[in-house]
Amino acid sequence: MDNVKITVALIIAVLLQWTLRNVAEPFAYVDFPLIIVVYAALQRNALRAIFFGAFAGLAVDALSGGLLGANGFSKTLVAFVVSEIARRVYLDNLLLRIPVIAGACLLDDLVYYGVHRLLGQDPSGQVLVIVSYTLIGTTIAGTMIYIFLDYFLAERAKTRKREMFPTKRQTRRRNPIRLGK
Amino acid sequence: MVERSQQEVWKLTPWLVIVLLLGNFILMAFDAREIGSGRRVIRVWAQTGADFIQSPVTTVSSAVYNYFNSISSLRSAQSENDQLKQRVQELEVELKGNQDLVSENERLRSLLGLSEESKYKVLTARIIGRDPSVWFDSSIINRGSLDGIKLNMPVVTDGGLVGRVTAVGPLTSQIDLITRDKSGLGAVIGQIGESNALGVVSGTSKRDIVEMRYVSGSVVVEPGQTVYTTGQDGIYPAGLKVGEIVEVVSGSATTPHQIFIRPSARLGSMQEVGVLLYEPPPRQDFEKTLPNARKENTKQ
Repeated sequence: MDNVKITVALIIAVLLQWTLRNVAEPFAYVDFPLIIVVYAALQRNALRAIFFGAFAGLAVDALSGGLLGANGFSKTLVAFVVSEIARRVYLDNLLLRIPVIAGACLLDDLVYYGVHRLLGQDPSGQVLVIVSYTLIGTTIAGTMIYIFLDYFLAERAKTRKREMFPTKRQTRRRNPIRLGK
Repeated sequence: MVERSQQEVWKLTPWLVIVLLLGNFILMAFDAREIGSGRRVIRVWAQTGADFIQSPVTTVSSAVYNYFNSISSLRSAQSENDQLKQRVQELEVELKGNQDLVSENERLRSLLGLSEESKYKVLTARIIGRDPSVWFDSSIINRGSLDGIKLNMPVVTDGGLVGRVTAVGPLTSQIDLITRDKSGLGAVIGQIGESNALGVVSGTSKRDIVEMRYVSGSVVVEPGQTVYTTGQDGIYPAGLKVGEIVEVVSGSATTPHQIFIRPSARLGSMQEVGVLLYEPPPRQDFEKTLPNARKENTKQ
């Protein structure tokens, strides 16, 4: 069921990435598919995250003026790196995920720009400005989305937590002195 | 058992990553070769499918935006109304004068035996999507090959030139703006015939500025002059307004000017555009234009 929910989240993210820039220009600086791909990688399911990265990247490239496959390349790489780190380091805390999403965004932008320059294409815009704004926008949006996703997708974790730390029943103590009376 | 399957997954993952990265790299290499040819099949069909999502979203967002915009515009309606009435009166006088000129032009043309210039049709289109990647600035319009759109057709607004069509699907098309780094068009400062300041306008990394190159340093160029297309690049017809000069870095007799132009079309806020159903005249092969080329119609 979690797989279905996160797949639906990825589809919604791709649809938002397709449409929101036409509503308001600042939404161009938020990479919604990347946020979901990194979230999937943090769940320690590397295969799912890598497939998400490849397909989400291709879906964004299909409507973009850039090279087809560039986003797929960068997001697949990011998914692999984040899943490998999540396998070795504890990253279930939200505060620890903020630098992860920021680093993932930076890596994604640099790889995307690098493969375009490697193949003789010049993306428009100033690199530092775009990378900075994307970093800020994606990190802020990613943090809010992770809070939302943790609430809706982590039911099993909540149940497990409840079982591991059951609330202590309050029992009424009997006074031993009175019993002997 | 669970640990073994996890280990198998960890061993399989790097190989899967390599396969996917390689596949994406091959796609990029093919796409980089086909950018100039226009055969972007996957992109065209993806845009066609995305049209069913982008069009409704654009319709709703435009309606909401226009509603709030109309409320804010009411505050200045009265003074604007007075200004517009005065302007209408001035335009009516100007129109009468122009009508007299048009009829005189027609009489003179008929006297000289000149045939009427062919006019190209304008197909209006609405922008339903923007590039999902922040690194590029293409737009998607809701007209495609079924409406008569073809590759490289020019796109304009009431302000001036916007760009050209770079990918065509049955229902949608992708347009690249003139501000794109790889774009280029033949331009002249002032009207053709009045000026010999010819050059090439190409995009910069900024959206609101384009650069004009190869204008001779001996030609006088000043900020405020208007730039038009020449029609010599084989894509855009002559006479389309490109923009106005905002800055000139003067050259010399041996070095060209460096000219910066602000596009007259509002590229950042356009909602509707017009696609010129214009096909450039066919060009002869280079070999046939040489002086010693054998001409088939004069061959004995």
